[in-house]
Amino acid sequence: MKRLFTALGAAALVASAAPAQADDVVTLGASVQLTGATANTGRYYRDAYQLTIDTINAAGGIKVGSKPYKLALQILDNQSDVNLSVRQYVELITADKVNFLLGPFASNFALNDSSIAEKYQIPMVQGGGASTQIYTRNYKYIFGTLPPADDYYVSTIEMFGKLDPKPQTAALVAADDSFDVSVAAGTRKHLAAAGIKIVVDQTYREGGTDFSSILTQIKAANVDAILWAGHETEALNFIRQMKGLAVSPKDYYGFTVGVPTEDFRHALGKDADYTFGMTSWLPSADLKDRWFGDAADFATAYEKKFSYAPDYHAASGAADVETFAYAIEKAGSLDPKAVRDAIAAISFDSLYAAPTKFGGNGQIVLPQIVIQVQSGALKTIFTDKFIDKPLYPIPAWDKRG
Amino acid sequence: MVLAQILFNGILLGGLYGLMALGMALVWGVLNIVNLAHGAMIMLGGYIVFCLFQYAHVDPFAALPIAMLVMFGVGFLLQYCLLNLIVRSALLNTLLITFGLDVVITYMAQLIFTADFRAINPPYAGANFSVFGLTVPLIRLAAFLIALVLAGALWALLNLMPLGRAIRATSQNLTAARLYGVDPRSVYAITFGIGAALAGAAGGLYGMISNLTPYIGASLTAKSFVIAIIGGLNNPFNVILGGLVVGIAESLAALYLGPTYTDAISFGLLVLVLVVRPPRSLRAA
Repeated sequence: MKRLFTALGAAALVASAAPAQADDVVTLGASVQLTGATANTGRYYRDAYQLTIDTINAAGGIKVGSKPYKLALQILDNQSDVNLSVRQYVELITADKVNFLLGPFASNFALNDSSIAEKYQIPMVQGGGASTQIYTRNYKYIFGTLPPADDYYVSTIEMFGKLDPKPQTAALVAADDSFDVSVAAGTRKHLAAAGIKIVVDQTYREGGTDFSSILTQIKAANVDAILWAGHETEALNFIRQMKGLAVSPKDYYGFTVGVPTEDFRHALGKDADYTFGMTSWLPSADLKDRWFGDAADFATAYEKKFSYAPDYHAASGAADVETFAYAIEKAGSLDPKAVRDAIAAISFDSLYAAPTKFGGNGQIVLPQIVIQVQSGALKTIFTDKFIDKPLYPIPAWDKRG
Repeated sequence: MVLAQILFNGILLGGLYGLMALGMALVWGVLNIVNLAHGAMIMLGGYIVFCLFQYAHVDPFAALPIAMLVMFGVGFLLQYCLLNLIVRSALLNTLLITFGLDVVITYMAQLIFTADFRAINPPYAGANFSVFGLTVPLIRLAAFLIALVLAGALWALLNLMPLGRAIRATSQNLTAARLYGVDPRSVYAITFGIGAALAGAAGGLYGMISNLTPYIGASLTAKSFVIAIIGGLNNPFNVILGGLVVGIAESLAALYLGPTYTDAISFGLLVLVLVVRPPRSLRAA
């Protein structure tokens, strides 16, 4: 009998101790692609979330009112399955009782998952989805740190105007998912405004591996430029098949994603050279940050801890965590509505963007920086002016040394 | 000209498709196992060639036979130690266990190789030449020829050699084969091993044409399944022919309907074949 009482007493002690400890922690929940087809991009979010939370905690955490809190991360693996990720966000809110939500990777995930945030009125700040479809539904609880997909090619097309020869005809190739449909729709508009004629306009099924039919049509049309929107694995296939079928546009070919990552250059080797791409972020010392010092320090710390270099996905994920840190301190409470209002009004300098702030629809506005691979290294080519010299026009495959 | 080039692309692609499906059709025909881990085995073959090329600097085409040998061993052991236990049970059981194998192989591959994209990129990966105005990518042509050679070798094995007779006998009449001294456990294991070796070769070629991640398996299994049914399980050359049909249909669909519809076309073909073909030919091996 005595033993039973001791056990009960111990249980009561544990029960009373647990919530007291939980009181000092703000938990951010996320469902991210840790396995499955897009796991190699999903890891940027897991690692950036963890590094940022650890760094904030090491500096003493955050203050809600006058009370100090630590941040905690509750992360689930959605196995690159949209339906599973939706269920996991429900689980994070209803069973795990996380305080706030960080996002998954990719637009089609964010598009669906944000509906859960909206339904339960828990703010979600996500850095993985750029499609404007996410922000056109009058949702109040979704915020995003990737710039609008429609405008991904704006800086590239602006650069075309300052290049000699200026491309006159273009092929537009895009995958059929939410992000790339947005990119294609925006790019059609911007190309028309710049007086560049689209002579091949093709959409392919997301995850497609064979581009020989599209490439044959592009080759026959003899275009000046290829503007491409899709995912990294498809970009790799596209470039390799371009070479195999000897498809060389006269001036330019560029990709929305892939080019900034280390993975891309490793997989292609010399064939990555001359490829144009874009990024919303570069690890520059000009981007000052409250916790990391600046973006260059962030990149160093990140690479030291995870043994691979961060790209804009990681920086965007770090900015999402910082958004919550600033917003919670500003709201002085953990009430979801108060924090949501604080996020909507926030403006702060971070390692990702100066200032980091959200438009009325919840999405950040940031220009894309045009980049190019030159002799295996990434060069910054154009923002609103030229920075490094582009290798232009891109030489044909058989004319390279 | 565009049409001719696209038809030609389809034929070259179809050869590789056929090779992918060859191992699956063989195992299905002889063992009556629909191997859902077939795509994962293609993936493994790709990684073997990738590792030999990247770390031991073996030419990828020279690495193909090594990958086939390793995959034969993997397939043989899998069948001998595991699948032989369930080989004569209900179809659902074999589906379940090969599905489980697929998951295990895929996630082991992510642990070992990470989810990074890998490409087998020898210096001549993008080499090509022109014939009558057609651009011929060298590696795709080689893949097509290797597919034909392997299909021929499989045909010769099944029809001209004692081992092949034992394999066919086991699939046609198990009792009679046993009476003649055939040990079905070994024959099954050898057959599955050959299927895995063919998958290994297909994987190496796939890695040279496309790129590898641990997750390519599922879609390759689906494609192999479609081709095995269209080609039938009887004759290796029919499987290659099935691959050509799918390759050409996909390329033409990409031209006339738009690339979004390529999968709709190959699975549409599957439905069509199932409706039109007498089902008996599906059961025969």
